[in-house]
Amino acid sequence: MVTKRLAVAVALTAALATACGSGGSGGSAASAPASSAAAPSAAEKVELTYWNWVPNMDKIVEVWNQAHPDIHVTSSKQAGGDDAAAKFLTAAKAGNPPDLVQAEYQMLPSFVAAEAVADLTPSAGGLKSQFGDGLWSLVTLGTDALYGVPQDSGPMMLYYRADLFKKYGVDVPTTWDEFAAAARTIHKADPKSYLTNFSSKDPGWFAGLSQQAGASWWGINGDAWKVAVNDDPTKKVADFWGGLVKEGVISTTASFTPEWNKALADGKLLAWTSAIWAPGVLSSNAPKTAGKWEIAALPQWNAGENASGFWGGSAVAVSAASKHQDAAVKFLTWLNTDPAATKLLVDQGAIYPAATAAQGALSTAPEFFSNLPDFWQKAASFGAGARGFTFGPDVNVTYNAYKDAMDKAVAAKSSFSDAVTSMQDATVADMQKAGFTLAQ
Amino acid sequence: MPSKRGAAPYVFLAPAVTLFTLFLAVPIGYTVYLSLRRTKVKGLGLGKGAKTEIFVGWDNLKTAVTDPELWHGWERVVGYGALVLVVMLGFALLFALLLDSAHVRLSRFSRISIFLPYAVPGVVASLLWGFLYLPGMTPIGGIDFLSPTAVTYSMANIAVWGGTGFNMLVLYTNLRAIPQEYYEAARMDGAGELEIAFRIKIPILTPAIILTTVFSIIATIQVFTEPTTLRPFSNTISSTWSPLMKVYRDAFVTGDLYSAAATSLVIAAISLVLSFGFLRVVRGRAFGES
Amino acid sequence: MTTQRDRSRIQEALTVGRSRHAAEAPRRPLGLAPTGLLILGAIYCLLPVSWVLVSATKSPGELFTLSTFQPGTGLFSNLESLNAYRGGVFWLWMLNTLIYAGGGALLSTLVSAVSGFALAKYRFPGRNLIFNILIGGILVPAVVLAIPQYLLFSKLGLADTYWAVLLPQILHPYSIYLARIYAAAAIPDSLLEAGRIDGATEFRLLRRVALPLMIPGMVTIFLFQFVAIWNNFLLPFIMLGDDHKFPLTVGLYTLLAAGANQPSLYNLIITGALLSIIPLIALFLTMQRYWRTDLSSGAVK
Repeated sequence: MVTKRLAVAVALTAALATACGSGGSGGSAASAPASSAAAPSAAEKVELTYWNWVPNMDKIVEVWNQAHPDIHVTSSKQAGGDDAAAKFLTAAKAGNPPDLVQAEYQMLPSFVAAEAVADLTPSAGGLKSQFGDGLWSLVTLGTDALYGVPQDSGPMMLYYRADLFKKYGVDVPTTWDEFAAAARTIHKADPKSYLTNFSSKDPGWFAGLSQQAGASWWGINGDAWKVAVNDDPTKKVADFWGGLVKEGVISTTASFTPEWNKALADGKLLAWTSAIWAPGVLSSNAPKTAGKWEIAALPQWNAGENASGFWGGSAVAVSAASKHQDAAVKFLTWLNTDPAATKLLVDQGAIYPAATAAQGALSTAPEFFSNLPDFWQKAASFGAGARGFTFGPDVNVTYNAYKDAMDKAVAAKSSFSDAVTSMQDATVADMQKAGFTLAQ
Repeated sequence: MPSKRGAAPYVFLAPAVTLFTLFLAVPIGYTVYLSLRRTKVKGLGLGKGAKTEIFVGWDNLKTAVTDPELWHGWERVVGYGALVLVVMLGFALLFALLLDSAHVRLSRFSRISIFLPYAVPGVVASLLWGFLYLPGMTPIGGIDFLSPTAVTYSMANIAVWGGTGFNMLVLYTNLRAIPQEYYEAARMDGAGELEIAFRIKIPILTPAIILTTVFSIIATIQVFTEPTTLRPFSNTISSTWSPLMKVYRDAFVTGDLYSAAATSLVIAAISLVLSFGFLRVVRGRAFGES
Repeated sequence: MTTQRDRSRIQEALTVGRSRHAAEAPRRPLGLAPTGLLILGAIYCLLPVSWVLVSATKSPGELFTLSTFQPGTGLFSNLESLNAYRGGVFWLWMLNTLIYAGGGALLSTLVSAVSGFALAKYRFPGRNLIFNILIGGILVPAVVLAIPQYLLFSKLGLADTYWAVLLPQILHPYSIYLARIYAAAAIPDSLLEAGRIDGATEFRLLRRVALPLMIPGMVTIFLFQFVAIWNNFLLPFIMLGDDHKFPLTVGLYTLLAAGANQPSLYNLIITGALLSIIPLIALFLTMQRYWRTDLSSGAVK
């Protein structure tokens, strides 16, 4: 891939020239991905629109635009989450989508089912070797097609306040049983403090924890979907958290709310089962706690294992309706695999890159974790055992059911595994209504 | 007497009718069309041609009418709406009468302050109150504004906050338009301010009160922004808290435009029956037609 | 209610009852209770506004740590970061909002005034039907319309353009209703008849007689429509994809959504919220005369 690129004389700043080293060699030649023989001439300038919510994507796109007068990309910042996915699907239905779109892994099957994204196998299939198998299966959906190129990923681990753990005499929990015990100890010592919170607003977080336990919410069985949102591992996870909520030893403040931020900043929440991208969140909402946090593997269901799950992460997909699919693929290939671009994604976009080489290239710990010089190495080892599962074509229904059912369960302190069952029922009902073939 | 002048009124009404057709009638027609259809997928639903749009007749509408979620939404909105209507219009009337009475100091300050929330977009208003409701940030301690029992009141408060000033202004300016002579006779008879308010002002205001009520009914039936913006702050507001939120969820979150279209027709029909029914009863007075 | 009565009301309204209360002799004072109640109401209404004012001065670190009404030290750095955010896109949102609200309200006022005049001053077959149908538009929930409007605009290639936000907001049933009532009250039939005897065309009557007499009412309609479009969220949210065309409400909402992962944005949101309500408050204070006089003659007959 890299060798095929032609060096183009472009007015780059000196810093950029060195940053844009070719391939993994770290050479200093000002090499950037450029038009191949099939590309349109400079006279036919291609305009691409790109919907995303990566911080500072403007600046990253500007670097590309400087180097590529023939393919101009405009980044348009979206609200992110459900809203962004919904908006893209509506735009695609209306025949008015952007050329490129940020697609969270769990939303990609919906995009595919709506025929909104293009199969990139011919032009981007060769990128497979640059990504881990787990991530790659999230963009192929386990089929022969390729619906996007991975951009970032979120293996999960445990973040905790080392200073406060010490204060309360709590050891870092290695199993979920120890985790529950720690929750009790801390809340008993200070009724205003909690070990952590259960978030009824973050289905992605719950999915990640279920993945760790071995759940598999969807599966493809020949020509039929297998749906098991209420499988045993998921119920086990649900009941574990439901028990802690019922006992009142963990907080039920939803994550990413102002109240949650305040609790983190005030040291009233001592731990967070989160993903590798958490430093960005912690540093901006609890800046004064820098240097007090440490990381560990997620607590395990069976002592001695090293299992984890994924929370978050997204791919870049190309609209099926885009008139410039080749140009779009060139851009997204550069964005997600070129060392210079992935470095920008890490530094400016504050994401954990999906490309294997880019992950390996991470050396300096995030500023927030300057107390852990080996942050990335540790994180990589904790995340090594992360397992994902196939996402179905109506994840949005399942996730929405999670929010509604868990909101109720938290308020009523009722059974969390019943909530999981209502997620399953909502998912199955929606798929049946739409006409999907379901395996029994 | 209004007169008959050939084509002129039609020409004058042409822009409004054209806009109505393009941006109301056609979209409504399209909604009806969508409500009669549905997509059907085959097998895994992946790949080209796995999805087709089919005609399903009244199925979507039947589902929408019988959906228990939607009816729970109506129950919540009726409770919320009754609260908003009574409190908001009650305060609006009280403030308007107070402003119009002779013995008030700082009336200009009060009037502008109470009207001020009208300038705050619903999204921003809900955001501000959302922050003020948070147990960790609220200046009023001891109450959990976002608990399951309190959340309806908290939401109603946002609507009352945003709407009282507008309705007060409508009523107040109507009061200002009542000719002074009306009061003179009453004063001669020795009536006090309270008596004047109840015997003269409120009866004269009745058409205006009716009108503000109608518009408030319509607004509360369509409540959407407040609960939507408050959702991230609380565990107690579901994505189908109000009927309109269900439409939004169906259309944009679960991607089912067809159910959304059907549900929105049901909502429009209920709005229509309620408000037009109400208007018909009081039409003679509210519209000033004989 | 007669036209005579209406005219006297207009007159009354235009001269505003400023002098009238001065002439009143207080008879049975209710003491300070009315003033006290109103002040309480004012404080309640100012509470969130003062909160946003104070919070905008807090730096990211202070927002979740300082007590609610304790001013912080970050106002200028908040303004700076808002100014720097995505190359000053906030100011673009402000400008867009002005274009949508100003342009939309202007067109809406014209359409409403002309329609209101026609409905008030002519008798013609279908008058009541047209009026009822137009007014019925107010009953259709915005969400119901937004989805098909979006799909239809996309078919015309107009989605994600300024037109997609401007055009659907021109027709406003309540404004037509107001304009009709105002026209009925403010334009004497005798003037129109006199004009007709002089041989003026209907169009000329509209331009030279009706619209000038309706100007105060049109200002009110303009103001209401301006505020309505300024505060609208749903339509631009659904219609627009390019954030350089966003109005303030949608821009702030995207900030709020992004704030979930970057809570430092909360300061930008709060500062932005404050800045976004300043223009409207200024409009209120400067246009007070119109909020008052013209509602009195125009709101309800």
